[in-house]
Amino acid sequence: MSLKLENISVDNENEVILKDISYEFQPGKIYVLIGRTRSGKTSMMRLVSGLLASDEGSILFRDKDFDGVPIWDRNISMVYQQFINYPNRTVLQNVEFPLLRAGISKADAKARALAMIEKVGLTSFLDRKPGQLSGGQQQRVAIARALVRNADIVLLDEPLMNLDFKLREQLREEFRELFTSAKEAVTIYATTEPAEALILGDELLVLHEGRIIQFGKPADVYENPANVDVARIINDPPMTILNAKIQDGQIIVGGNIKFKSPKHLGDQSNGDYQIGVRANEIVMNGKGDLELEGTITLVEVSGSETLIYADTNAGEVIIQQEGIHNLEIGQKVLAAIDPKRIFLFDGSGSLSSAPGN
Amino acid sequence: MKKIAKYSFIVLWSLFVLAPLSWALTTSFKPPAAVNNGVTFIPWLQFQPTLNGWKDILGISGYANLIPNMINSIIITFFATLISVVFGGAAAYGLSRFQYGWKKYKNPDIIFFFISQRIMPPAVLAIPFFLLLKSLKLLDTHIGLILVLTSGLMPIVVWLMVDYFNQIPKEIDELAMLEGCNPLQAFSRTILPLSKPGITVASLFSVIFGWNDLFFALVLTFTNVKTLPAAVVALNGTITPFWTLSASAIFAILPLIGLAFVAERFLSKGSLTGANR
Amino acid sequence: MAKVTISNIGQAYGGNPDQETWAVKPLDLTLESGRSYALVGPSGCGKTTILNMLSGIVTPTQGQIFFDDKDVTALSVSKRNIAQVFQFPTIYKSMTVFDNLAFPLVCRNWEKEKIKVRVGQIAEQIGLSGKLDRSANKLGADEKQIISLGRGLVRDDVTALLMDEPLTVIDPQLKFDLRKKIKQIVQGKEITIVYVTHDQYEAMTFADELLVMSFGRMIQRGSPEDLFERPNSKYVGNFIGSPAMNFIRAEIVDGQLSLMGHKMKSGLKSKVSSGQLTEAGIRPEYVQVVNSAGENVLSTNLLGFDDLGATRILNCQFGDGVIKARVPREFAIPARGEVLLKLPAEKLLSYQDGLLN
Repeated sequence: MSLKLENISVDNENEVILKDISYEFQPGKIYVLIGRTRSGKTSMMRLVSGLLASDEGSILFRDKDFDGVPIWDRNISMVYQQFINYPNRTVLQNVEFPLLRAGISKADAKARALAMIEKVGLTSFLDRKPGQLSGGQQQRVAIARALVRNADIVLLDEPLMNLDFKLREQLREEFRELFTSAKEAVTIYATTEPAEALILGDELLVLHEGRIIQFGKPADVYENPANVDVARIINDPPMTILNAKIQDGQIIVGGNIKFKSPKHLGDQSNGDYQIGVRANEIVMNGKGDLELEGTITLVEVSGSETLIYADTNAGEVIIQQEGIHNLEIGQKVLAAIDPKRIFLFDGSGSLSSAPGN
Repeated sequence: MKKIAKYSFIVLWSLFVLAPLSWALTTSFKPPAAVNNGVTFIPWLQFQPTLNGWKDILGISGYANLIPNMINSIIITFFATLISVVFGGAAAYGLSRFQYGWKKYKNPDIIFFFISQRIMPPAVLAIPFFLLLKSLKLLDTHIGLILVLTSGLMPIVVWLMVDYFNQIPKEIDELAMLEGCNPLQAFSRTILPLSKPGITVASLFSVIFGWNDLFFALVLTFTNVKTLPAAVVALNGTITPFWTLSASAIFAILPLIGLAFVAERFLSKGSLTGANR
Repeated sequence: MAKVTISNIGQAYGGNPDQETWAVKPLDLTLESGRSYALVGPSGCGKTTILNMLSGIVTPTQGQIFFDDKDVTALSVSKRNIAQVFQFPTIYKSMTVFDNLAFPLVCRNWEKEKIKVRVGQIAEQIGLSGKLDRSANKLGADEKQIISLGRGLVRDDVTALLMDEPLTVIDPQLKFDLRKKIKQIVQGKEITIVYVTHDQYEAMTFADELLVMSFGRMIQRGSPEDLFERPNSKYVGNFIGSPAMNFIRAEIVDGQLSLMGHKMKSGLKSKVSSGQLTEAGIRPEYVQVVNSAGENVLSTNLLGFDDLGATRILNCQFGDGVIKARVPREFAIPARGEVLLKLPAEKLLSYQDGLLN
């Protein structure tokens, strides 16, 4: 019942779209693809749906080669970023469409469509055309249509990206409810937002430049990013990453700031490394074994926290501080870091050690 | 003040455009005297309208009968338009959705190739088409003229419709395919209904150009098949019968006017909203 | 440098006399010179209309606009000395970056030498000095927006800079960089800035003062802190802050807020008659998880939690509603069952029919 991708590669003239993708998706789980724009998320979905052909590798569904199966026989639902609905059909007709195509009787199709429309909260808009609905409502129609037919594979390509901030929050919550309708399906959800990934995903795949660079449970990936790229992708606010050297048990940043290498890093050979610290683990004007002096380059207030960007001798530091602080650009600030909270990445960028909890 | 100026301009312009038509209309009802003895405009006031002009062209008075010509024109224009829109539309859909190419010539080049056909003055094609139809024994036949007109109309259809299809998001086709339609069904069930305005415009263009064609009609048809424009021209004799000519002119464009009213319904605005954000 | 005063402005697209249908209901507003403001609200709330009225693109149906006591209501766009950045980069694709930036000055017949100097200065500020010779079309969307911004700043007679959701078409990972850049560029300039967005986070991080709008009305106006700490209505409490403020059904008993029979200490002062919809409001950031009962402590049932990365949101059932509490990641979340939540009195607000008491 699984969806298996084996050594998939897709090129487009000089550009690598996907490289060496191998993964097995199990039904009944929500898989989140996270990565930057153009990292391959959409391509991977188009590959699974059949809209994109692979240059190498194979796709197997239920142990049968998917390549020979035309798109319309694959029983896949897709929700696009851009609210795609059939413009000339009403909401009800839109949601009925896939059911009627599948040969379900008119009565049954209508009943199921109505039930799903109710679930997404659009019962009072049955006779409207998509053009008369707001963005959020249009996307709900698309979602209803995707979920109504109990497809084997449900693909959602950054469905919330074009919606207002607050709508996104709201729909995110509703998704979990809605996805219970896709119990038997392989659900794949693409996003660039770590919060969405962490909230919705049972399993996470991190894509970067066309490759899967890490996969696992969201919490695991968050706590143990495989390398610097993953650390950058999965952390919002961004993780501070500084170049460092290790010399005889000491870590050196910014050329001359030394501190003792913390226990959780273990024994490390001398050489070039990178250290990472989460924004909420850095304390402004506090005390710590590692203290960096910096000049503020940007202050962002987000309600209950303040995000402070500062340039220090060791590199750019990002601090998330509780409370609202009215600071000025150019002000001096001290970033205090507890070495016990440091991530260590070796010279090639791979994770060497993560702070324990 | 600006508004008065705008509206008076529109009114004046409308009068300017409608003047020839109304002149032709009134003239078609005039007796010869009303035409030859000076200028007259208003029926019943300046002259007594008669139906002589009309009788002359409808075969009633024995002078001429344009009805068979009208039928010819209808048949030829209809089929030329039908073939152009069906095949041209299909080509346009292909050019919009798929990538074709040979070496470095890709879709835009193919589309340009189509348009370039219309850059040629028809006169250049007169002799080649004549010889072609002659060898196929299609001179002076309906089919011959239909084929030739199609070759001129299809490029316009393709050009108009490619642009139109490009505005319909490809994702809708994809969605239909994902939901169980093969490409043909996806096209007919989702794209086609949305294309009504585009098809209407393309068809209208084809009908107008096809109907009004005089050049190829004169070159490629003689006795068996005579289209309306050609027949109207033939009505010119030593004495110019303005009233008959006016009647024939109005007669010739009646179907087009009728079509315009019918087609206006299809040129609605709302059919494509909601497809994009 | 202009104080902008809006007096009794209203906008009715279509001229419907019924004010309820107006895109902007009669509004008075004063914006101080040199400060940055954000007009926030969901799509269709009227924020873009107001912006366009300020720039002159839209003529208000009624009311007047003053720049420094000069009535500009009837003044054409070009005479208002406004620079506007739109959702889509407005650049001339066929020109180089230099020509694009120089264009406004060329139109004003500046001398070539002066133009060169000025464009050089601005290019330096916006970080495009190295790319002046490049064709503007070849740059990425974010850089194109920077050029749009630069074109607005290159004129020295600009009194106000208006930005209409400028980050809409930017990739998520670049959005952050661009926001930072814009903020750094406009920092310290003596121009009045008005920024329109639907993203409350963007608004809070960008502006000195926020103006929250809904359906053509301004609901509340204040600093990010004001709106966060004391939203004057349920609408603002929901709109500002992520996640939204908790609103819990309550009653007023003996002059105190009572939630399901629990009397709570709060900032409630005024006497309120019964029969109105009363709700207690508190932000998830301020809800505390405690170990023992006490003043302002409620017993709730843990439904589940949302993983947001650095923090987690506990969803706790209370009555027939849910109270959200934000806890740091390290917090040990009990598996199921009872959770005691403390709602500190100083953060507990009371709302009648959606309005702050």
